[in-house]
Amino acid sequence: MANLLWMHGGACNGNTQSFLNAEEPTVIDLVTDFGINILYHHSLSMEFGDQVRRLYDQILNDEIPLDIFVVEGTIIQGPNGTGHYDMLMDRPKKDWIWEFAHKAQYVVAIGDCACWGGIPATKPNPSESIGLQYLKGERGGFLGSQFRSKAGLPVINIPGCPAHPDWVTQILVAVATGRVEDVLLDDLQRPQTFFKTFTQTGCTRVQYFEWKEPVEEFGQGTRKGCLFYEQGCRGPMTHSPCNRILWNRQSSKTRAGMPCIGCTEPQFPFFDLAPGTVFKTQKVLGSIPKEVPQGSDPLSYSVHAAMARAVAPKWAKEDMFVP
Amino acid sequence: MSMNKQEVTTKRQKMEIKVHSLGRVEGDLDVKVAVEDGVVVDAWTEATMFRGFEMILKGKDPQAGLIVTPRICGICGGSHLTKAVYALDTAWSTEVPPNATLIRNIAQAAETIQSIPRWFYALFAIGLTHRNYASSKLYDEVVRRWAPFEGEHYEAGVVVSAKPVEIYAIFGGQWPHSSFMVPGGVVSAPTLSDITRSISILEYYRETWLEKILLGCSVERWLENKTWTDVLAWLDEKPEHRDSDLGLFIRYSMEIGLDKYGAGPGRYLAMGNFFHPQKYRYPTIEGRNVALIARSGVFDGKAYHDFDQARVREDHTHSFYRGGGSFHPFEGVTDPIDPTEGQKEGKYTWAKAPRYDLPGIGEISLEVGPLARQVIAGRPGAEEWQDYDPLFLNIINEIGPSVMVRVLARLHEAAKYYLRMREWLRQIDLHEKFYVKPKELPEGRGFGATEAARGALADWIQIKDGKIENYQVVTPTAWNIGPRDRHGQRGPIETAMIGVPVKNPEDPVELAHIAQSYDSCLVCTVHAYDAKSHKELAKYEVIKI
Repeated sequence: MANLLWMHGGACNGNTQSFLNAEEPTVIDLVTDFGINILYHHSLSMEFGDQVRRLYDQILNDEIPLDIFVVEGTIIQGPNGTGHYDMLMDRPKKDWIWEFAHKAQYVVAIGDCACWGGIPATKPNPSESIGLQYLKGERGGFLGSQFRSKAGLPVINIPGCPAHPDWVTQILVAVATGRVEDVLLDDLQRPQTFFKTFTQTGCTRVQYFEWKEPVEEFGQGTRKGCLFYEQGCRGPMTHSPCNRILWNRQSSKTRAGMPCIGCTEPQFPFFDLAPGTVFKTQKVLGSIPKEVPQGSDPLSYSVHAAMARAVAPKWAKEDMFVP
Repeated sequence: MSMNKQEVTTKRQKMEIKVHSLGRVEGDLDVKVAVEDGVVVDAWTEATMFRGFEMILKGKDPQAGLIVTPRICGICGGSHLTKAVYALDTAWSTEVPPNATLIRNIAQAAETIQSIPRWFYALFAIGLTHRNYASSKLYDEVVRRWAPFEGEHYEAGVVVSAKPVEIYAIFGGQWPHSSFMVPGGVVSAPTLSDITRSISILEYYRETWLEKILLGCSVERWLENKTWTDVLAWLDEKPEHRDSDLGLFIRYSMEIGLDKYGAGPGRYLAMGNFFHPQKYRYPTIEGRNVALIARSGVFDGKAYHDFDQARVREDHTHSFYRGGGSFHPFEGVTDPIDPTEGQKEGKYTWAKAPRYDLPGIGEISLEVGPLARQVIAGRPGAEEWQDYDPLFLNIINEIGPSVMVRVLARLHEAAKYYLRMREWLRQIDLHEKFYVKPKELPEGRGFGATEAARGALADWIQIKDGKIENYQVVTPTAWNIGPRDRHGQRGPIETAMIGVPVKNPEDPVELAHIAQSYDSCLVCTVHAYDAKSHKELAKYEVIKI
């Protein structure tokens, strides 16, 4: 039995909604089969009123042990560091989050907002939002870079906007079943088992990437081609298993024809959504992608690309995803 | 004045209850009510969280709203995308091919039919298992079906709610938070199996839940009901009807009194949703109403009026933004202040107060959501491609609006949307266009709207020099939970709370039912204060006198 408390800060509830799409296990299986005791979740619990307040007090007084503390949403610090922009029971919510984080065996940040600040922390960051242990790519965040939960781990970051339900449920099951030592974290504190591969890994458009054939335009144009060249797809530069563990058991954005926007990386939304950056590949010298797959550089990439395009087989220029 | 003072001193049964975190999904909602002799006599809704999306959008890429606004609300992300894309379509004068309109319609409907079971079981019906109702003879059955996690239909309903958004993912890549609708159409070009698989998923939804568990009859049989008398006759027609979740809900509601309170303002707004694929090929603000399949409109309690976006206002007199007054969203500003400062000026919430400026009457508050949509659907004079459905106009005329009726309207839509989705899937022509590349104009003004599961949702965008000059979003939650305006008129939920009997002030589950019936409540944290010792009471009395 593992006690779990779920709290939302500056959140859209999208991670909870995503979580509710889970199968194998479903959210209900998680409770009934895996012994995860949800002490309180704002969308799932029946307890309300004084019961919740009492529960919070009992956790903070060490009467109820807190095994897993899950945070969804940013930590809102505005205005001027007061936290008055997000109040819970007449207290800044950030103060509750601080206290629970220091009581928990494990602290899990679910979604970009809790990991790095996400969309609310986009310039000018009106709510002074911050992630639990990062602000965008900068380590530290709300809890500080030295923070360790009681079990000795930093915050476990499960990013994504939203996080995929399986990334969440599998990590919760690992923690609840005593396999947490198998959860290896990368340098952004993300579980490597999910975030070592690229979004592109498993993308159905990868053959077009190989032969450097672009999607010319959205819609009927996506019956062939790769979205990297014109539509700003970040699949080759983004770490996620979106094309290994499909969304809603069916598809992924890139499979459907939408460019990856890099939402598992701390810089999301990229370029702060400046004019000319949405769904458009940033280029140098008019044609060479400014950002190229990790470990490559624009010059060697463009040499490789020119050769690939020159020797591309005929089918690489034809529609593949036909009616 | 002396009379009032007398009243205050003699009535010792007064108390004020602050219901914390009676939250909407994104952030929390506190409701403060004044209770006198066990009945609510006044109410204030307080949204307690601010993120500033409209400020983030200023100066950004014109298409930034497609990425940012879905993240306002994870439950309605697809609806946010829908209205955001129509705002750009109107600003850029795009052409939207019929296939793209069909897919946008399907995606919008998929999100809503997901929300119906998820909201009913996970968020609303668990409250009906409250021990307050243990003496009801239907209580054991309600608990057996709807208790959280253990209830038989709780599990079935929560699990099936993940299915419709699989259809969304087939066309959009994922749910929540895709940005697959773009000005000029959609990014995707489906294949045959995308269509056939979507039909199969939809049929699974109908067979395993919609007909088997919710209705206890065919979709077509349920939709034959045109009046409240029809619904009562339907209940008696067969045991399967009576014992369905819908049948049980109606019978239980009438036993525990959910048909007696939570009426709300009795005035409704729908901005309408789903477009006729041919009639909104060239989207404009002016051409919107007639191209709708589910109509827009205003019902003021007596008469119907055409909806005109130019008559929408947002009043922030009692909201934590600088100054006061009421503006059309094109002129809207978002300039937050510290709530502790705002409270000194009588401000009490982060929600602005949306109002509709009705000719000859002035600015009024309006309820939005499924009940509003279904009342508007009862307006005579629909075009041949538009929905006409008299059931809920009849119901509110016969028994009046209430918590029960609001929930009923929501469940009713599952049947209607299922049928529409089947039809739209049939109409997609795989060999035709899904996108027409638009010209990205550096200047423009756009308005886009839709109906999220929980009500009317709209964006107003102004583009200047190739970037966003101003962006205003008015959400259904704001319409419903919005505060008083500068004339002191309460918002819909504030209105709905008045007159409600509260059985146990330490556990006011009735207030939770009301807020939850508007689908803006997930969390109820309650503090009851003794009338004599709590300072806030004095404030309440001053207001009353």
